[in-house]
Amino acid sequence: MSSSELAAEPVLDAEHAGSVRIEQVTHRYGRGSEAVTAVGPVDLTVPAGEFLVLVGASGCGKSTLLRLIAGFERPTHGAVRVSGAAPRPGVSAGVVFQTPRLFPWRTVRGNVDLALRYAGVERAQWPQRRTELLARVGLEGTERRRIWEISGGQQQRVAIARALAAENPLLLLDEPFAALDALTRERLQEDVRQVTERTGRTAVFVTHSAEEAVFLGSRIVVLTKSPGTVALDLPISLPRGDVDAEELRNSAEFTELRAQVSHAVKAAAAA
Amino acid sequence: MSTTSVQSKVSDPPSPPRERRVWARVRPVALPFASLLVFLGLWQLLAASGTWSETLVPPPAKVWDAFVDVSTTHDGVRGYNGTTLIEHLGISLRRIALGAGIGIVAGVVLGLLMGTVGWLRSLFEPWITFLRTLPPLAYFSLLIIWLGIDEEPKVTLLAVAAFPPVAVSTTAAVAAVPKQLIEAARALGGSRWDVVRDVVIPSALPETLTGVRLAVGVAYSSLVAAELVNGLPGIGGMVKDAANYNNTPVVLVGIIAIGVSGLIIDGLLLRLERTVVPWRGRA
Repeated sequence: MSSSELAAEPVLDAEHAGSVRIEQVTHRYGRGSEAVTAVGPVDLTVPAGEFLVLVGASGCGKSTLLRLIAGFERPTHGAVRVSGAAPRPGVSAGVVFQTPRLFPWRTVRGNVDLALRYAGVERAQWPQRRTELLARVGLEGTERRRIWEISGGQQQRVAIARALAAENPLLLLDEPFAALDALTRERLQEDVRQVTERTGRTAVFVTHSAEEAVFLGSRIVVLTKSPGTVALDLPISLPRGDVDAEELRNSAEFTELRAQVSHAVKAAAAA
Repeated sequence: MSTTSVQSKVSDPPSPPRERRVWARVRPVALPFASLLVFLGLWQLLAASGTWSETLVPPPAKVWDAFVDVSTTHDGVRGYNGTTLIEHLGISLRRIALGAGIGIVAGVVLGLLMGTVGWLRSLFEPWITFLRTLPPLAYFSLLIIWLGIDEEPKVTLLAVAAFPPVAVSTTAAVAAVPKQLIEAARALGGSRWDVVRDVVIPSALPETLTGVRLAVGVAYSSLVAAELVNGLPGIGGMVKDAANYNNTPVVLVGIIAIGVSGLIIDGLLLRLERTVVPWRGRA
């Protein structure tokens, strides 16, 4: 995807919209003696416009934390605030899941149109908005394709386009590229990095990959093993904006940060 | 032949011999046709052996004659009992369309409700299972007492027979809608009704259509029962009436007509299913 395609995206007011506040949150699954604490206590503030990456080993509660921010679950203790209010699914944030979760009875176009309808966009504006969204994720010319006719990477791109339809100031991504091949994963990482930067969106991205975390994040939080608590809170000062992704990945600073995060993840998992 | 075509010929995997390809194309028609011929041959042999009287096992030729008789006007008599075979069949198909249609609509609506609302499922499921296990003849007498002997009990019986398979399959399909897709719709801002319309109904459609095919099959198999009383004109009524007079050839013509029309309708429903739910088995 070229930079010019991304430039058309309207820049959101980045003052408060999209900020996340997690206040002493603990979340448990089950009841009584069978209750399992998945996450917490966690205290985090994500300012508007930040790209936060939650990293941790499997089962450390990072996806639970994301579900709490999305409003799919309410915390057992503590409070979550998105843009100053309690989170509500479909209102507070756009969500990209680990699998694309597209509706197979709809074409690529149908999937994006549904998101536009739910977002309250007037029908007359759908064609233009749809074209913009699909161009933004590099899927021009695929509108009429059935879901099973496109590749896994393309499906995940449709899912991203769908999540961007509502223009939510917050984007939540739960290991969205885990099932993709390395090449597609790197391309999509670059796309997501650009989209969020150019639109001023806040993003919370969950991954278990230290490399992905360092490439994407403006801040990385490493979680300990279940129950997940903050083991490391690391601001990332790598250059953002129009950078050569390949050069960035090969830089000494990147390699050093990746090693630091990787070590922290292993230490947190072993603790 | 150009160099390019030679190269592509060389790089292509070896294609199966021509005979095998022809056979693969002909097989879907040839095998059923061959089995029909074998069946007719065995039937003819059995009838000619004289083990049973012609009344019990008439030869194929006699059944063919009966088919021609009930399909045309002969010696001043029109078809069977004043109605031709195709008219008998048409009247019965109308009853099936009406009865099974009502049963299918009721089944889909109740299935959607039962699959969505847990307590409704608990409330109605035992009743549907009870109804499903009853043979249509068991409640036909009751329908005669309640509704008389005209069209109402026949259509009602077909509706009652068609209802459970659709209700059961729709309930199961709705209950099995992937939670991940429901959550995806909610994450996009869909309301509860949006989720039902845009996710639950299309997701449940493939299994519901299977229920519809089953329902039409059950309605078909209940046809003779539905037309037991005052069933003429009607193909089931024709079978019942001919049986009263030991007219085995006409009974067989009626049975074959029911079976063949059932096969055609099932084929059409299968084609409809493939058109309406092209994603089945692919996503």
